[in-house]
This record gives sequence, C-alpha cells and structure tokens, in this order.
Amino acid sequence: MSTLSSSNTAITAPPQEGAVTAGKRRPGLQWVGTALVILAAFPMVAPFAWMLATSLKSGPHAFDLPPSWVPTEWHFQNFLSLFQSNVPFATFVLNSLKVAIVVTVAQLLTCSMAGYAFAHLRFRGAKGIFGLLLTSLMMPIQVTVIPTFLIMSGLNLIDTHWAIILPLITNAFGVFLMRQFFLTLPRELIEAARIDGANQFTIFWRIALPLAKPALASLAIITFTNTWNSYFLPLVFLNSWEKMTLPLGMFALSNVYGSGNVSVIMAAVGVAVCPVLILFLVAQRQIILGMVGSAVKG
Amino acid sequence: MKKASSDSLSAYLFVAPTLSGYLLFVLGPLIAAIVLSFTHYDMMSPPRLVGFSNYARLISDARLAVVYKNTALFAVTAVILTVGIGTFLGVAVNKRLPAFLKYILRTAYFFPVLVGMIYAAMVWKFLFNRDLGVVNYYLHFFNLPPIPWLTSSGWAIWSVILVYVWKNVGFTMLTTLAGLQNISEELYEAARIDGAKPHTVLFRITIPLLSPVILFNVTIAMINTLQEFDSIVALTNGGPGDASRTVVIYIYDKAFRSFDMGYASAIAVTLFVVISIVTLLQLWGSRRWVHYA
Repeated sequence: MSTLSSSNTAITAPPQEGAVTAGKRRPGLQWVGTALVILAAFPMVAPFAWMLATSLKSGPHAFDLPPSWVPTEWHFQNFLSLFQSNVPFATFVLNSLKVAIVVTVAQLLTCSMAGYAFAHLRFRGAKGIFGLLLTSLMMPIQVTVIPTFLIMSGLNLIDTHWAIILPLITNAFGVFLMRQFFLTLPRELIEAARIDGANQFTIFWRIALPLAKPALASLAIITFTNTWNSYFLPLVFLNSWEKMTLPLGMFALSNVYGSGNVSVIMAAVGVAVCPVLILFLVAQRQIILGMVGSAVKG
Repeated sequence: MKKASSDSLSAYLFVAPTLSGYLLFVLGPLIAAIVLSFTHYDMMSPPRLVGFSNYARLISDARLAVVYKNTALFAVTAVILTVGIGTFLGVAVNKRLPAFLKYILRTAYFFPVLVGMIYAAMVWKFLFNRDLGVVNYYLHFFNLPPIPWLTSSGWAIWSVILVYVWKNVGFTMLTTLAGLQNISEELYEAARIDGAKPHTVLFRITIPLLSPVILFNVTIAMINTLQEFDSIVALTNGGPGDASRTVVIYIYDKAFRSFDMGYASAIAVTLFVVISIVTLLQLWGSRRWVHYA
C-alpha cells in the first residue's frame, strides 16, 4: 500500500486527460474497485436471466438444479398458454395499458401546466402552494388511502378503473420536474411573445410546451412505468378479475397456481417486464435525465 | 396592473387541476384520517366518535411495537446499505473504463430500478426457496448450510432488505455518477499538484462535494423504505407471524382485512407524525454536514 502510493505521489506525474479520480494514483486499489463492480453486476442481472431461462422450460424441468442462466429449452408453449387458458391474462394487460396511458396523458397535462405557472407566472401564494405540494412527496399513500377509499365508495367507483386513475391525475414529482425544465427557458422568450399580444395559454401551448419535449418524454416514461408497475392502489380498489391490472392479477394468480407452474409464472413476469425493458433500451437517456437530473439540480 | 391580474388569473387556472388533485387526494384525506382516528368505524354502521380510545389502544397494542421495530430496522438498514453501496458503485464506475463497459454496468445496475417491485419479488421468492431455490443451491455448493430465507422469523426481514437494496442500489449509483460529473477537474488537478493522498482527496474533495447528492439519496431512500409495501407482501406477507410486518402493512391489514378503519387511521396518523419528524430532523441535520458548492 505505502509503496504504491509513495511511488505515485511524484509531482512530475504527466497530466492526464479525462476523469481524474481519487483512485487514479493507486492502480492496485482502483482495479480492486473495478473488479468488485463488475463481479457484483452478475447478481444484479441473474434474477432476470433465471426468469428468462425458466420461462422457456417445460414444467417438470422448471426446478432443475444446477439452475440455468441461459435458456436450455425453447418451450414457447408457456407464453401461449398465458393467452389461451381461461385465465384473463390478456384482460390484465389491456387494463394495465389503459390505466397507464390515461394516467400518463393526464399527468403530462396537469404537471406541465402547473410547472409552467410555478416557473413563469407571478401569483399570490405561489411559494406556499408549491411547498405544500412538495410535502405530498413524503406522504405515504397508506396514510391517505382510507379516506380515499371512502370517497371512492361514496362515488360508487369501487372496482372501477376511475378509482385508481383519479388519485394519480397529478403528481408533485412531475410538477417539480416540469418546473425545473421551464425555469431553463429564458424569460425574454415569454416576454417577447407577450408583447406580441399572445395570452398565457397561447404562450404555454405554442411556445413553452413544444420546447419541453425532452422533459415531457422523461415524465411520460417515468409515469407510465410507475403506473404499469403499481400494485397498492389496484389492490385496495379492484376486486373482480375483469378489472384487475397486471401486477394485481398476476400476483393473485401466482398464489392460486402455487409453485407448481413456475415456468408459466415466469413467462407472465417476462411479459410484464417487457414494455419496461423496451422503454429502457429505447429511451435510457430520457429516463436517466428525468430521474437523476432532479437530484443534481437540487 | 391589468396585465398582472390577468396573469395571476391564468396562473390559478394553470395550477387548478393539480391543486384540486392535491386537496382531494392528499390534504383532504390527511385531515379526514385525523378525524377518523377519533372514531370507531367498521364500514357497516356510520362512524361513531370515541374520543382518544384508539390512541389508548395504540399504547397497549404489542403488535404495533413489533411492526414499528421492524419498520425502523428495515428503513435504517436498507437506507444505509442502498446509499452506501450505491455511492461506492458510482465512485468506482466513474473511471476511465471503456465506454461499452460503462454502458453495460450502468444498464445492469439501473434496470432493476424500473422493474415493478411485485415482479422482482415474485422472481426472488422462487430464488429464495429453501429446498429448491437457486440461492441455497449455491450456498450448498460452497458447503454452507441452507438458509430458510423467507420462512424463518430471524431471516425474513433480512431477505426483504436484500431485495430492496438489490432493486434500488442502481438509482443511488446513477445519481452519484451524475453528481461526480459536476465536480470540477481542477480541484483534483490542484490536489495532485499539492501531493494530496488518495484518501485525503476522497474525504476532502469527493465526499464533501457529493454531500448534496448523498442527502438527496438518503431522503429518497428514507421516504421509500418507510412506505415499502409490495416487496414485503409478495415475499413474506409480513410473516412468519409478524416477523417482517411493517407499519404500512399493518395499516392495510387493520383497514381492509379487519375493517377497523378508525384504529387503522390512528396508526396512519402516528406514521405521518413519525415521517414528519424524520424529515425535519433530516433537514436540520443536513445543515451540519451538507456542503453546497
């Protein structure tokens, strides 16, 4: 250790371009870190590899050990049987798609409108309202779900998709994300449009929103993914098989099936994970910008 | 003058959908939950005011103490592990690695963040199977005894923590990577010219300048762990017994299985108070160690 560092502390070390980090001057330590990161990446992907391999196995081989990490059989029947059996799997998929799309479109609209107002319009109470909204980020849904349930049952909306759409019609995180984006638009742009006689709705719809496409894309992907994966709200509000969304229906089914049908269950999980995987591969940039950007900008 | 007032009118219109959503589904229900906590309500007959009796029940409820203990253990351990490991991963990946290797690593660590917890937990449930599971197979391979991951009261909560950390560590890693991009090269250059030792660089430059990102990650992880529901339900359903049951699951059970809405609301109010205190403490504590550049 000491020899490593002392041999490298020479001030005359040639300046290096690129990322210079703490580990730079200790090649030994640096490689240990890199090796650890690469090694630890295997357990990160292993569950997905196992899921894929198992989803393609015929029933009797599903629990074979040693486990296979790449498909050894190509038993596509598992995927077909999801859609052929009397289990309403296709209905779950359609329900989830419907709810996720409606919620996403609604949030794009409500969050961008509110985000624009907080970024560019001056109005009484703006600061207070914005702060109040942000407090909802730390509020567990389980704290508010009981009264929400009573509201929905009063409106006769239990076991309808409205019950899980309405509470998600807006989202403080989305408002925050859009506000951060709109703050980067130059004030002069909006002033100029106003001097030309445009009202705020025209400015928002014709100027600000078209410029916000990258932020809207981030928000759309994040909201779609969250709603697609959401389990708690459907669990509370939906109870008939025809209304269930994918996470709820599938988990209920896996309990009915038991572990006897691992390969079919894994095929179902595979189908459920697929849209997220595609979104991720297509739009990794937008996802990371949306989720991570807010951390760095503070 | 006229312009300003029309401006604020349109501003209120812009904010109206979000504000009404907030009032109807966050602030309103929060106040309603506080009111309900003073009632007895089973959904069959109308709510009946019972004063503080739900709160008196809280004190004598032995299960509540257990679920709060589990919640604290889960939150503290999962936050430390997720943020600690994730920050390490971020610093370790922020090197001159081949671009494709960086891409693969980023993808591998970040993908679980996007997968639904319920799906991830369904896969892990099979991997954790005591006799047929993959994890125990490899333990056996290294001559270690099998572990009853989900079925023993000692292990259950640790399995839930493990899955939480596995799923969320990539988020911390990516935010850390992004934060490191913002640290000026010149600082490292200067430190090198001054002959600073690597650990000095780490503790005097990297970590202080990362502290806002670390605070952000701690806050997010705290919020998420305190309300984690899906993974616990899917992996252990709170069991065995109450061994891995947390407050949010207890609230759900009381409200929607026992239809004890008043008591469940009282528990929800305690959770709200706890979360508010934790958030305030975090804000206060962060003033002492977070360094804003």
